[in-house]
Amino acid sequence: MAFQTQGSNLRALLVEDIKVNRMILSQMLRKFQVETTVVQNGKEAVELFLGGETFDIVLTDNLMPIMTGPEAISKIRAMGATDVMIVGVSVDANSMEEFKDAGADLCVPKLKLEILEHILQETRSKKNKSSA
Amino acid sequence: MDYSNLRRQAASMKKSLFDQGYLDEQFCQVEDLQDEASPNFVEEVVTLFFKDSGRLMSNIEQALEKYPRDFNRWDTYMQQLKGSCSSIGASRMKNECMSFRDSCGQGNVEGCMRSFQKVKREHAVLRQKLESYFQLLRQAGPAGAATRPVM
Repeated sequence: MAFQTQGSNLRALLVEDIKVNRMILSQMLRKFQVETTVVQNGKEAVELFLGGETFDIVLTDNLMPIMTGPEAISKIRAMGATDVMIVGVSVDANSMEEFKDAGADLCVPKLKLEILEHILQETRSKKNKSSA
Repeated sequence: MDYSNLRRQAASMKKSLFDQGYLDEQFCQVEDLQDEASPNFVEEVVTLFFKDSGRLMSNIEQALEKYPRDFNRWDTYMQQLKGSCSSIGASRMKNECMSFRDSCGQGNVEGCMRSFQKVKREHAVLRQKLESYFQLLRQAGPAGAATRPVM
């Protein structure tokens, strides 16, 4: 199940199984006027990419039912989606390596507004460079 | 009605939640997300937390009974609850969740059972305290919206 929120400019995919986390992270992205699609596990994320959806940034949890974040990232990268910024979000120290090995650009233990702002700025720069 | 007194009471109540370790800095992060477009965001998140955590705890309780010594299953459920606690700054609950997960890692059934009882207790206490806090905030009116406590 995926739903979209209003926004402009950057398009984000949020992959998170915990409802409270989805609500908080969606609100964070809304603060930065990011157009956000939300899914509940890695499989739903992969299906969006298979369906031809494109995103500027993917923010994903690690451990989720059906398909984990790293598994989804591997499949998304294997599809040729190499430009999309992918950020793993997990407090688990072991997750960092899993995310990086799978092809994530970044891994953060916790998303705070200041950290998200910096990541989004980086994503915007990357997007502007590739469209120049 | 003395609204400024109610606001002072709410601020004091919130400070004590932090001082007693029920809440941590992450709760402030949630408060920072509240704005004019989402004026009740904090209470909505907390309401969702208690609804979802109730469900997760029920899953854990059933798993403890139906799947004896299935530490992987127990840990997976508790990992979700812990994540939820961490996101809203429910510090004491989060710590008890971590104790439960440690017991799972050690294969300690009694430890898991003890920790789970503590998780349930902390859940009930936090729920009661936050319900009182939000009730006070509502009485204090819009100007009583969340502000950072003096720590």
